[in-house]
Amino acid sequence: MSLVSVQHAPAARPIPVPTGWAVAARQLRSVKILFPFIVLVAIWWAIQAAGNFPDRVLVSPQRVFDTMVLLISRGVIAEYVSTSLKIIGIATAISIVVGVPIGFAVGANRYAARSLEGFLRFLQGVSGIAWLPLIIIWFGFTHATTLAVVVYTLIVPIIFNTMIGTRAIPEHYGLALRSLGAARLRLITDVYLPGALPSIVVGLRLGMGYGWRALIAAEMLVRQGGLGDLIFGARTSGQIDRIIGGMIIIGTLYLLIDRMLVQPIENLTIARWGVLRK
Amino acid sequence: MDAAANAEKIAVSGFRHFFDTEDGPVQATGVVDLKIRAGEFVTLVGPSGCGKTTLLKAMAGFIRPTEGTIHCDGKLVTKPGRERGVVFQELAILPWRTVRRNIGHGLEIAGVPKVEREEKVTRLIDLIGLGGFEDRYPHELSGGMRQRVAVARTWAADPDVILMDEPFAAVDAMTRLTLQEELGRLCVATRKTVFFITHSVDEAVFLGDRVLVMTRRPGTIKAEIDIPRRAAGGRDWESFTTDVEMQGIAERVLKLVRAERGLTPAEEARAAAGAGA
Amino acid sequence: MSVQAAPIATTSTARRALGRLAWTLVPAAPFVIVTLIWIMATGILNPSKETLPPVTDVLASIKELALSGQLATNVVASLYRLLLGSILGIVTGLIGGVIVGLNRKLAESLNPVVVFFNAISGIVWLPLMITWLGIGNALAVFLIWNTVFFIVFQNAALGVQLVPEVYEQGVRALGGGRWQTMRSVILPGALPYILTGIRTGLGFGWRALIAAELVGAATGLGTMIFDAAEYHRSDIIVAGCLIIGVIAIVMDRWLLLPIERRTVRRWGLVADTEKE
Ligand SMILES: Nc1ncnc2c1ncn2[C@@H]1O[C@H](COP(=O)(O)OP(=O)(O)OP(=O)(O)O)[C@@H](O)[C@H]1O
Ligand SMILES: [Mg+2]
Repeated sequence: MSLVSVQHAPAARPIPVPTGWAVAARQLRSVKILFPFIVLVAIWWAIQAAGNFPDRVLVSPQRVFDTMVLLISRGVIAEYVSTSLKIIGIATAISIVVGVPIGFAVGANRYAARSLEGFLRFLQGVSGIAWLPLIIIWFGFTHATTLAVVVYTLIVPIIFNTMIGTRAIPEHYGLALRSLGAARLRLITDVYLPGALPSIVVGLRLGMGYGWRALIAAEMLVRQGGLGDLIFGARTSGQIDRIIGGMIIIGTLYLLIDRMLVQPIENLTIARWGVLRK
Repeated sequence: MDAAANAEKIAVSGFRHFFDTEDGPVQATGVVDLKIRAGEFVTLVGPSGCGKTTLLKAMAGFIRPTEGTIHCDGKLVTKPGRERGVVFQELAILPWRTVRRNIGHGLEIAGVPKVEREEKVTRLIDLIGLGGFEDRYPHELSGGMRQRVAVARTWAADPDVILMDEPFAAVDAMTRLTLQEELGRLCVATRKTVFFITHSVDEAVFLGDRVLVMTRRPGTIKAEIDIPRRAAGGRDWESFTTDVEMQGIAERVLKLVRAERGLTPAEEARAAAGAGA
Repeated sequence: MSVQAAPIATTSTARRALGRLAWTLVPAAPFVIVTLIWIMATGILNPSKETLPPVTDVLASIKELALSGQLATNVVASLYRLLLGSILGIVTGLIGGVIVGLNRKLAESLNPVVVFFNAISGIVWLPLMITWLGIGNALAVFLIWNTVFFIVFQNAALGVQLVPEVYEQGVRALGGGRWQTMRSVILPGALPYILTGIRTGLGFGWRALIAAELVGAATGLGTMIFDAAEYHRSDIIVAGCLIIGVIAIVMDRWLLLPIERRTVRRWGLVADTEKE
C-alpha cells in the first residue's frame, strides 16, 4: 500500500467455530470479496458488447481471460514475472542490507539525522525514473539500469524509517541494558534492531510500493523483459488483451507480495509485542 | 565479610550538574555530598525537578558530572557497570521480550549458561508472584506486574548496589504495600546496598535506614534522618503504622519536604496570609 | 574534564551559538559533500562529458535553458498538468472518500476493488491509456488523477471513520441535522487526514507525471530530459533532475506543509504530519 497514514490494525484472530460454520462463513467472505469484481467485469462486458469496438481499442473479458490462460500455459508469463520478481527481490535485499545500517548510524545522532532528512526528501522528490536517461547512458539498456532505478526508489524510505524508528526508541531501554553490562553489539541486537523493526517494516512496505511502480516504469523504457515490458510491448502491436491481462497480473502480484510477505512479518513480530498503536 | 559491612560503598563528593540545552545551561542540582555504606538502604525524597534522577543517573554512570566525583568501591565511576543495577522511573523492560527473557537478560549478557539462568529466573518469578506469566509479553501485564519484572531483572543480575528511581510510582496502592514489604525483607536478607528515590515520605521512612531530604531545584541535601533499626526483624506496614516513634519520624520528614513545595519564602508568606484571610 | 569547575556560562554561550549555527547549516552538508565529490570525480577521473558532466556545464545549461525560455515552457507545461490532474484527483477523491467513510457497509464491500486498483494506480495504466487517449495532456492528466485519487480517497475515508462518535452525538444532541453534523464535525475532524492525503498525493502525482512525460508527452520536464538523452546531453538531464527535485521540495515544504501545519496545529489536532 502506498499510503502514509493508512495502517492496518492487526486482524483479530477468528474465534474457532464448529467447522461446518467456519467453512460456510469463509465461502461467504470470498463471495463478498469477489462480488464487486464480478460487477465490474459485467459492466466491462456490457460496454464492449454495446460499443462494437475494434480489437485495438477494447476486447471482451473472455478474450483477456483466454490470452492469460494461453500465456500462462505456454510459460510466457512465468518468464516476464520471474524477471520482475528477481529485480525487485535483489533490489529489496540490497536496500535492506545497505539502508538499515545507514539508518541506524544516522538515527544515533541528531545532527546527522537532521542533515540527512532534507537530502533524502530531495532525492525522493527527484523520482528514480527521472534519472533513468542518465543511468541508461551509464549502464545501457540492461537489467543493471532497472535495478539501479529500483534501488534508488526503494532505499530512501527504508533509510528514512529506520532513522525515525531508531530515534523513537526510549533512551532508558539502552541505559538499562548498559547498566546490565551490555556492550555496543548487544545494544544493537537487543534494543535497536527490535525497537526500530516496526518502523523498518513500514519503510519496507512503502519502499516496495514505490519500488514496484518504479520497476514497471523502468521496464517499459528499458525493454529487457519484465512485466512493464510485457504491457508496453503489447501496446506497439496493439494487443489490448495482453495489456489488460498484464495489468491484472501486476496488481495481483503486488498484492500477493504485500499480503504474503510483508504483512505476516508485521503480524508475527510487531502485533505480538504490542508495540503497534491502536 | 562483616568487616566490610561498614565500609564505604559509594562516595559522592562535590557533585553538581548542569545540562547543556539549546537555551543555555540548566542547573539540575546544587552541590551534593553523600556517602553510602555497604549494605545500607538509603532513601531520597525531594520536590519534583530538584535533581534526584540526575544524581542517580550520575551514580549509575550514565552522565558525567559537571563538577565533583563519584566513587564506587573506591573506583571512579565513569560508565555504567554490572555492579550497579538500575531500576528506572520510566518502565525500561523491553516490549519485545517475554517476562522470562526480560528477567534473564542480565544473566544472558553476563554469559550465564542457559540451565543455570532458567533456574534462577524461575525462582525469581515465583518470588515476585508472576508464576504462570513467564511467557507473556509486557503489554499483556498490568502496570504493577511490569514494574515487578523490572525490579526482578535488576535483581537477577545480582549487582552489589541497586539504584532505584521511584520504582513503585506506577503501581496500585495495595500491590505497592506488598512490594515494599518484600523489597525490605529481600534487602535485609541479601545485604544489598540500595539507593532509593521516592515521592512518598512513608515509603522513604518505611524502607530506609537513612532518609535524605533534598531542597527544591537546584537541589542539595538539606537533611539526613537516621531511622533506628526496627526491633523485631523488620519492616511490615502493620507494625510501622502503629509504631509511635516511626510515625513521629515520618511527620518530621513530611514537614521538611513540605517546606520545599517550590514556593519562594515571599510566596510562602503570601500563601499563608491568603489562607488566614 | 569533569573535575574542574569550568567557567560554564561563558563557554556555553559561545558553544551554544556555534551549536545553533551548526544546527541551521547542517541540512546543507550532504548537498555540499555530494557536490564536492562530483567536482572531484570530474577532476580526477576525467570522464567523458556524457558520462558525468562537470558542475559548470550543468549550471551553464540551467542558465541557457532559463534564458531561452525553454525551461519556463516545460515547467509551465508540467505544472499545468499537475494542477489539472490534482484538482480532479482531490475533488473526486474527497467526494468518494467522504461517502465511503460515512457508510461502513459500502466501505467494506468496495474495499477489495479499491485495494486492487490502488495496486495498479498510476504508471501501470500508461500503455492502455496511450492506446485510448494518445500522447498528450489528457494522458498525463489521467495518470495524475489516478495517482492522486486513491491517496486522497483512502485518507479521507480513514479520517471520516476515525472521527470520534461522541463529537457527532454531541452535535446531534444539540439538534443538528445530517448536513450540519457533516459540516461542523465530520469534515473538520477528518481534515488532518485529508490534508495529509493531499500533500502525499501531490508528491506522488509529481513523480507519476515525470514518468508519464518520459514517453507520453511532447513538452514538460520529463520530455525535456528524455529528449536530451537522445543527444547524450547529460548536462541537461542532470539539470532537469535538479529542477524536478527543487520544484518538489518547494511545493511540499513551502506550500503544502505550512498549510497543513497551520490548520492542524491551530486546532490542536495531532496528525503525523512529519512521517513520510
Ligand atoms: N536531559 C536534560 N536536559 C535538560 N534538562 C534536564 C534534563 N534532564 C533533566 N533536566 C532538568 O534538570 C532538573 C532536574 O531533573 P531531574 O530529572 O533530576 O528531577 P527529579 O528530581 O528526578 O524530578 P521528578 O521527581 O519529577 O522525577 C529538572 O529541572 C529538569 O528539567
Ligand atoms: Mg526523577
